[in-house]
Amino acid sequence: MTEVSAVSPNWLTTRLDFLTNWARANSLWPMPFGTACCAIEFMATAASRFDLARFGMERMSFSPRQADVLICAGRLPFKLAPVIRKIWDQMPQPKWAISMGACASSGGIFDTYTMVQGIDTIIPVDVYVPGCPPRPEGLMYGIMLLQKKIKGESFRDADLRQEHLVGPDGLFLPAERIDEVSEPFGNSVQQTRSA
Amino acid sequence: MLQSYIPVLLVVAFVVANAILMLGLSHFLSSTRPTAVKLAPYESGMPVLGDARERFSVKFYLVAMLFIIFDVETVFMLPWAAAFHQVPEFRGPLLAEMLVFVVILGVGYVYIWKRGALQWD
Amino acid sequence: MTASAGSGTVAAAPSPSVAALTARFGPAIRRHEVSVGDTIVYVAPDRAHEVLAWLRDDPGQRFDYLTDVTAVEYRDRERPLEVVWQLRALGRGADLRVKVELDPGRPLEVDSVYDLWRGADWLEREVYDMFGVRFRGHPDLRRILMWETYREGHPLRKDFPLRGHFSRAEQTRQALAANPEAHYSIQELSIAAAYDELPGDMKERLSRGERGDVA
Repeated sequence: MTEVSAVSPNWLTTRLDFLTNWARANSLWPMPFGTACCAIEFMATAASRFDLARFGMERMSFSPRQADVLICAGRLPFKLAPVIRKIWDQMPQPKWAISMGACASSGGIFDTYTMVQGIDTIIPVDVYVPGCPPRPEGLMYGIMLLQKKIKGESFRDADLRQEHLVGPDGLFLPAERIDEVSEPFGNSVQQTRSA
Repeated sequence: MLQSYIPVLLVVAFVVANAILMLGLSHFLSSTRPTAVKLAPYESGMPVLGDARERFSVKFYLVAMLFIIFDVETVFMLPWAAAFHQVPEFRGPLLAEMLVFVVILGVGYVYIWKRGALQWD
Repeated sequence: MTASAGSGTVAAAPSPSVAALTARFGPAIRRHEVSVGDTIVYVAPDRAHEVLAWLRDDPGQRFDYLTDVTAVEYRDRERPLEVVWQLRALGRGADLRVKVELDPGRPLEVDSVYDLWRGADWLEREVYDMFGVRFRGHPDLRRILMWETYREGHPLRKDFPLRGHFSRAEQTRQALAANPEAHYSIQELSIAAAYDELPGDMKERLSRGERGDVA
């Protein structure tokens, strides 16, 4: 489908975009990659008071093969990094990722030897939801942002549905970029005890 | 008489058209990006352990066989039941015939029960 | 561990096990102390296994439950690195803490108590992973919390920096290259794969919760 990027936008292509994006955005099947406390808030969002079913997201897919959006809810230890990478790779296109919570977005309070400092060093992320944990309303706002992002997509965009694999150097992002985003910030700069 | 089957034909045609539409649309509108990792078997993100072709217990086959036999028996009872009410004058002999049929299969049932074929382990 | 009668704010009496230990082992019991009601006994490292075996088997002691094995490295570098066994006598309801002091400048080695309490299996693996203390006689001493090929060292040592030795990029690279399946032992894998072929009496033992030796 990417070879038709030479097609100029017209009424037909925009209608087709609208239909596919509407269908995709309103039936996002989440893959809850819940590791810690944010997973509880995710469950709360899916439950009756806040209800994800009105977004079409009540069908949680625990197999990546049937999932559209990977919601990483919780901190990610380095030991779990190859697992989420593999699960992300095994999701078929179109796929998106939501990084829920401070730990998934940046490592959160865990600026230590064990935790990945943000899952965007491992997989490409579309929406970051801040919070520790985010309120269900916060997560829903993030989901609605993702829906808005999806509705802005177009099949004429050649580099939209590209698989970004782990490179030959064994990394997803360039090394300097990973070091740059993992720099301690906020109160973490006080935590320098090494001896 | 064949007129009454036209709705069935319409339903079949609709189903076929619907299936072709869905598959065709998703084939043309989709983006497929196969990669080596994507095609690998899914095992919760871990490397695959063990063989996909595991040995199956033969007990499943046995259960399927037994089910078929008694299911066919039930299927034979259905037209019998439908015809039963058409001939009220033969009710006695008809019932006796069906009971004979059931008893013959009942002997088989007692046999498999005593042989332990109904025990899972 | 009978506390003296009264308000109990005065230093509590040590556990009677201390007297029994000093009577039995003499100079191997270096000293003891009482801390918030818990009795701590310091033992010579080369006799630790003997002392612990006696504590488990002696009819007057019967410390049949190993609550924890852990290690402590103090910020004060003059203090030695301690390996701690927390014991409990389930029948009597008594606790005892046995400690051994190791010189951090020398290789850290202690005898494993796997043969005394099976629970020491993973507890000692954790101490090895976090502190680098090797347990002689442990059947399967490998990392348990960090991944098997973790190369940065032993994280809970005081000279280990909070964020690890390697750069974040290097840590990410090594983490992505690690094999998550490597942390199953061959025993665990063979049990999982071969459960159906296990003999009937062994299945019965496993279903009752006993873990015999896998042949």
